[in-house]
Amino acid sequence: MFLVAAVALLIAMALALIRLFIGPSLYDRVLAVNVFGTKTVLLIGVVGFLTGRPDWLDISLLYALINFIGTLAILKFFRYRRLGDRPPSEQRP
Amino acid sequence: MSPWLDFVLFSILAATAVGVVILRNLFAVVMLGAVFSLVTAALFVVMDAPDVAFTEAAVGAGITTVLLLGALTLTTRHERPGSSGIAIPLAVSLITGAVLVYGSLDLPRFGSPDAPIHLHLAPEFLVGREPEIDIPNIVTAILASYRGFDTLGEVIVVFTAGIGVLLLIGRHHVGRRNRVEDAADDKGEAPDSPAQSPPEST
Amino acid sequence: MIGTAADIASWLFIVSGSAGIVISALGLLRLPDFYTRLHAGGVTDTFGAELLIIGLAIQSGVSLITAKLLIIGLFLFFTGPTATHATANAAWVAGLKPRLAERPDERPDGDNP
Repeated sequence: MFLVAAVALLIAMALALIRLFIGPSLYDRVLAVNVFGTKTVLLIGVVGFLTGRPDWLDISLLYALINFIGTLAILKFFRYRRLGDRPPSEQRP
Repeated sequence: MSPWLDFVLFSILAATAVGVVILRNLFAVVMLGAVFSLVTAALFVVMDAPDVAFTEAAVGAGITTVLLLGALTLTTRHERPGSSGIAIPLAVSLITGAVLVYGSLDLPRFGSPDAPIHLHLAPEFLVGREPEIDIPNIVTAILASYRGFDTLGEVIVVFTAGIGVLLLIGRHHVGRRNRVEDAADDKGEAPDSPAQSPPEST
Repeated sequence: MIGTAADIASWLFIVSGSAGIVISALGLLRLPDFYTRLHAGGVTDTFGAELLIIGLAIQSGVSLITAKLLIIGLFLFFTGPTATHATANAAWVAGLKPRLAERPDERPDGDNP
């Protein structure tokens, strides 16, 4: 039963990776990374159930948080072209 | 179950590494690096090392991606094609690889119980762990307690890298060079197409 | 393990969740335009993930594992659509236009009202 889920997740990860290679625009690639991250979260949970040790869900939870924040950081970076706050002496570009 | 799962994860890892080498768009390479760290974290979970997987997911896929993006503000978006040929580096890599593989044929089999590495220190760790340290997972016990100074060194290295990048990009804002080209490249068009939308306003 | 009804129910959820995930990844690869791929990668992905998590939660009964699974499910429920919306917003602001159908009296890359 969990084997079905694990195989499906691995297939989905491979397909998302193909989209990451060939995506013509940048936002295609950001979307593919987000999808890949969600699949990894689920894969760690399912592999935990497969091997009989479901305590690895902590790692899934951590990675779900990091995936979300990382995607938003990448998007914010592309919109504003900088990572930190604007220094007070600089005018609007 | 375990061999084919390892096989699929490792082949995804190899495909990602090939993509990192081949692609020329540096932002795509940074995101492939994040995917690489993710798959490595999944491999660590399969190999029963949850705390290493925690660290790999947090550092590799989260922080290193953002730090590399910050470093990319100082340079252009596309890697310039190399000017020298590939014959000599390819030959050197193949010869070095062949020598290493030849040297590794003498090593004992992976995980065999009578390899020297498993006979001297490892039983001491495995047996002496419970009365002394009382951490349930053996990998965590070695990382956090028996080899704690190693872990301290790694923390210092990552912290220094973060501070270095913040100092580089935080002080003076270096102007981006090829704005219009990069704006077109974001949307997947050719860099010199005539119809450009106006650059985004902040 | 727990009871036949719970087993069948969790089988159902896990299989439908896995099918949803594979369909979402196929759509991510095959759909023609970025905004259509957002539908596949965002909506179907979150929905399939939620079904899979409910299936795993039924499988593990009432325990701490179920609580952690439900927390992960709740988090994916909120952050999946948010990340999709952020991606679409960033792409729109940067000027990436959707590929509209051609009409005989308009330009192909349409003025989108």
